Amino acid sequence: MSLALNTTRRLRLGHVDLSLIPLGLAGLFLAMLVLLPLGWLLAYTVTDESGALSWTNVVELADTSLFLEPFITTFGIALGVASLACLLAVPLAWLVARTDVPARRLLRGLVMVSFITPPFIGAVAWVLLAAPNSGLLNQYYRGITGAGTFDYLFNIFSAAGIIFVMASYAFPYVFVLAANTLDRMPHDLEEASAILGGGRWHTFRRVTLPMVLPALLAGFIIAFLQAMTQFGTPAILALPAGFHVLTTKIWSLFQFPPKAHLAAACAMPLLLVTIFLLRLEKTLLGRRGYTMVGGKSGSPQLAKLGVWRWPALLLALLLLFVTVLLPNLVLVRASMLRSVSDPWTLETITWANVPLVFGLSNTVGVLKNTLVTGVVSATLGTAFAVLIAYLTARRAVPGHQVLGFLATAPAAIPGIVLGVALFIAYTRPPFQLYGTLWILLLAFLTIEMPPAYQQMQAAFRGLNPELEDASRILGAGRMKSLAKVVAPLLKTSVAATWCFVFIGAIRELSATILLTTSNTKLVSVLIYDLNEGGALGGIAVLGLVLMAVTAVVVLIANRVAHVGVMPDGR
Amino acid sequence: MEVTRRTVLAASTIMGFASAAQAQRPEPQPLAPDLVAAAKKDGKIGWYTADDLVLATKVAKAFEAKYGITVQLERSGAERIYQRIAQEYASNISEVDVATTSDVGHTVSWNANGWLTPFIPAEVTKWPAQAIGSNGLYIVDKFTLVTPGYNGRLVKAEDAPKSWNDLLDQKWKNKLVKAHPGYSGAITNETLALSRTLGWEFYEKLAKQGVLQVQSATDPPMRTAQGERAIMADGAENTSNRLIMEGAPLVLIYPPEGVPVVAVGSVVMKRSQRPNAAQLFMHYLVSPECQAINVANGARSFDPSVTEPANWTHLSKIKLLFNDPNDLAKEAEEIKKRYTKIFGV
Amino acid sequence: MSKLVLSGLTKRYGSHAAVDTLDLTVESGHLVSLLGPSGCGKTTTLRLVSGFAVPDGGSISVAGQVVSSARGVVPPEKREMSMIFQSYALWPHLTVAENVAYGLKLRKLPRADIERRVQAMLDTMQLRRFEARYPAELSGGQQQRVGLARALVVEPKILLLDEPLSNLDASLREEMRHEIRRLHDRFHYTTIYVTHDQAEAMTTSDLIAVMRDGKIEQAGAPDDIYERPETEFVARFIGSTNILRGRRVGEHEADCDGLRLVCESGHWPEDGSAVVSIRPHRITLSGAADGSAPGTVERAIYLGAQRHYIVALDAGPKLQVLASSDVLAHEGERVGLTLPPAHCRALIR
Repeated sequence: MSLALNTTRRLRLGHVDLSLIPLGLAGLFLAMLVLLPLGWLLAYTVTDESGALSWTNVVELADTSLFLEPFITTFGIALGVASLACLLAVPLAWLVARTDVPARRLLRGLVMVSFITPPFIGAVAWVLLAAPNSGLLNQYYRGITGAGTFDYLFNIFSAAGIIFVMASYAFPYVFVLAANTLDRMPHDLEEASAILGGGRWHTFRRVTLPMVLPALLAGFIIAFLQAMTQFGTPAILALPAGFHVLTTKIWSLFQFPPKAHLAAACAMPLLLVTIFLLRLEKTLLGRRGYTMVGGKSGSPQLAKLGVWRWPALLLALLLLFVTVLLPNLVLVRASMLRSVSDPWTLETITWANVPLVFGLSNTVGVLKNTLVTGVVSATLGTAFAVLIAYLTARRAVPGHQVLGFLATAPAAIPGIVLGVALFIAYTRPPFQLYGTLWILLLAFLTIEMPPAYQQMQAAFRGLNPELEDASRILGAGRMKSLAKVVAPLLKTSVAATWCFVFIGAIRELSATILLTTSNTKLVSVLIYDLNEGGALGGIAVLGLVLMAVTAVVVLIANRVAHVGVMPDGR
Repeated sequence: MEVTRRTVLAASTIMGFASAAQAQRPEPQPLAPDLVAAAKKDGKIGWYTADDLVLATKVAKAFEAKYGITVQLERSGAERIYQRIAQEYASNISEVDVATTSDVGHTVSWNANGWLTPFIPAEVTKWPAQAIGSNGLYIVDKFTLVTPGYNGRLVKAEDAPKSWNDLLDQKWKNKLVKAHPGYSGAITNETLALSRTLGWEFYEKLAKQGVLQVQSATDPPMRTAQGERAIMADGAENTSNRLIMEGAPLVLIYPPEGVPVVAVGSVVMKRSQRPNAAQLFMHYLVSPECQAINVANGARSFDPSVTEPANWTHLSKIKLLFNDPNDLAKEAEEIKKRYTKIFGV
Repeated sequence: MSKLVLSGLTKRYGSHAAVDTLDLTVESGHLVSLLGPSGCGKTTTLRLVSGFAVPDGGSISVAGQVVSSARGVVPPEKREMSMIFQSYALWPHLTVAENVAYGLKLRKLPRADIERRVQAMLDTMQLRRFEARYPAELSGGQQQRVGLARALVVEPKILLLDEPLSNLDASLREEMRHEIRRLHDRFHYTTIYVTHDQAEAMTTSDLIAVMRDGKIEQAGAPDDIYERPETEFVARFIGSTNILRGRRVGEHEADCDGLRLVCESGHWPEDGSAVVSIRPHRITLSGAADGSAPGTVERAIYLGAQRHYIVALDAGPKLQVLASSDVLAHEGERVGLTLPPAHCRALIR
């Protein structure tokens, strides 16, 4: 029973706290994850092919068709997307959070469903729906109005079309932020204003709006960033229309002969704008970003819509039908047709697309790659997020602030920029990872670290540190306490983070497109390949399979997390 | 002596692929029985091909069924495949065993890099001489044309364009779909041939027609068949043929100015980890069985034993435009750059 | 049971010393409370003792062996201590029995042994019928007892309590104070008890250490601290008192705004000033003619067992007086106060 404390050796050991070593290594790895590629990116920007210091890359940015035009186009589209996304998301969030509109849970659920659909699949679906001539909606339009053969209502191959498609996949993010804020906003403030005689409009303008405004602006910025950094949608919709955005331009620089130095230079402004906007968002939002919609506490005072309850519901359902369900329905339809513009009759229905997709000998391999990288990056990513969030939330190591910064820093790196950076960093010794799934894993870990870390940090902040102290004082080491007390208590947060990273990895295309080889191809890239080959029916099949698999994995993850966890009241 | 005979043969045909005499022309190899066993030991083969997706899938499946050797199929545009191989080789990845490209200029640069093991399956020696490209650098296991066309449901035959220049008519504005030379080897062939025959003004005017710019040469026939655009400015004839056989309302145009010919060349890569499987696959590509699949899916064949469907326009009725592989190799980059400048993407 | 010695203990956060060269000895088997307002460093001291924090100076030793110094600390899990937390820190995913058994399982005791000891402890704490419940299904008092059971069942060398009752309502708090003392009398663990509630400290402790600004202002037995405070801070913190300021005018005498006070105990400041404490219930209130200090009743509050008066002395100072409820005076009435020298205490600051 002796404590054996009398030797200084023992004291020193105690001071180092052996359990900190794996934690320290995690920190080191994180630093490498972020700093190595960014270092190379910077190095490539200011050097030429021979490796000599040179400004030619930067100077070449002055070429309008190379940089300025796509940059301006990108900016315009991003502004449009952000505005439209806010316009769609905020009223919907208000309806769901602050009114007595029926079926609020269903509405929330439907918004969440749209997270499962990768935007590039959505873009293809919208080609099927709203291509000017073969698009179903335009066909119906002509059928109903009797308009001429070449008349159309929608043209998805246009800046407006791109804005619409991007907005319908960005608005869930804005929705989550806005609904979160509205959920948490103390209701008594509004009530106080009402009691003091403020009319409904006055209350809205003077109390509700100022409180929601920061979240609104932050949502605007998030949608803007998404639109600015996305690759899949513009590649599928803008290139056919004959113009580039910045991401497609950077990607085109990787066509033969690849101009990695120029691509690095092109990526820099994207990086800088992103950093600036994220700083702005942080200022506006404090530290609330990214956290998902949580449960509501108390029963809020809901605005009574009266006779408008049902029309409001209908409108909301219509919005969600158009942005969430319709694209998926059209994929189902297209998956069973040989030519996507055929009418859907017993004669035209075919299974030909299934063997076409799975006849591609590597399709099964590609699905396997996708699942493996998805599951592994979700697992590792969540583990890292837990560790880093733990270190920072508990201030467990000196320099934990640096760790926190490193974990959030990748948020400022757009996927395509990271793709360029990783490509440069890992196609050379000592880390020759190009052509392996490792490089994709690194990409996903880097890209998903910020949201995963922020979610876990929020979870840790909600967990009283005394729960862990209680375990340690009773004799469990730091690691054991993490495993026996912290982990079970954070199970649901961990599962949510896991799903978030998994879905993120499945959805990723902009970095992936630069990093896969034939052996390490992922579904997202295969879909992109199929799109370039015009095999829309095949994309529909593959897209549906991908979404189904994603949904199943997410369901399993949630099931696992909920087995045996805590009784009611927690 | 062999060379002379072939040269004579070539001259006597309507085809005119370049076959400049080169010293390193390899001996044609018959399909040795032990090759099959050795190939099976290799187990699989990486085939990077620019062929039409449907066709490539069928060929790969048939090969797998016949020999039990897995084909890892990487299907993309010829220009993408070219870039991919370069990128993978730069990172010491050699997944590709056999490459099939619709821009045979690539074989010239690959050869210059020392990336090829020239290989000629003996079966090809029974074919016209042009089936052996650049004096043995590659074999032309199929070829096709790049043609305009239109959707017969949307455009009446009498209104339809008859020539390349007809595409520039105002009435087709926003009704055209076109593939990209930065992606498709077939379109690189076309752009080289037509920029010489019609001049770049043709493309400059075409760019003002509001074309729907897709990537693969196999895509315009599909978009046109779907009715997304009434007219395709260019498209791979083989895909069009296949769609027409499947009942698509697609009508091809063979302009009097000439129709670019696309030789589809296959090669064995020197770094191949599975050389036996690669050679066996080359044999398979030129087998009558595979040639039948090619033709059944719309591609044209040199194999005299395979007959084309009667409703295809016979080559003798078409003015054909050929490209020299060396020209392709030399000019492809400039062509793509110029095209991108004109069309914006 | 082990003697615990803190010597010269210092912990800085930036330039601020949360614990400043603190010396304290807890005799084996004693219960010492650290009493003080929030921010006085008592919780930091506890975290130093438990090993969660590393001191910047000084040392902590248990049974003669150093467990913490600036050079290193034995981690909490190796200290064989137990701790009761302000939030109870019961693990919500474990049942009552599992919570209690946790520490024993870590010690790899035989299953039967664990079972026996858990049951015995649950009996002691009257928790037997809740053993299968989850913490969320218990009341605050029950949760507190689970926390105690969990800490005690491992038979720690030292028991640490961090404001254990601050989350309970008043009546329960009262009850638990006695419970804690009862348990201490039974198990006799060397205990440090951190609280800001003087009544809690008085009920439970063998020794009270009043802390201020990271230092111990005064340490002593409860009656010692109460009856013989050394400083105004201690006098005020332990129960209410009247503080009078003035000059020292004799060996045992002070002049506070004309009011002459004789102090039989205490220490005087060296600069000739005087700070005198006298508890309200030590002052006698009588008719205007009696008493040494005349004044007027400003407020009179009836408290049931007692009456609380605020009296404005003619000499100037206002004093609080607690008298038996028999002693009746009305607001505005002239009265005389008696300030017995035995209960007037001179304070050093």
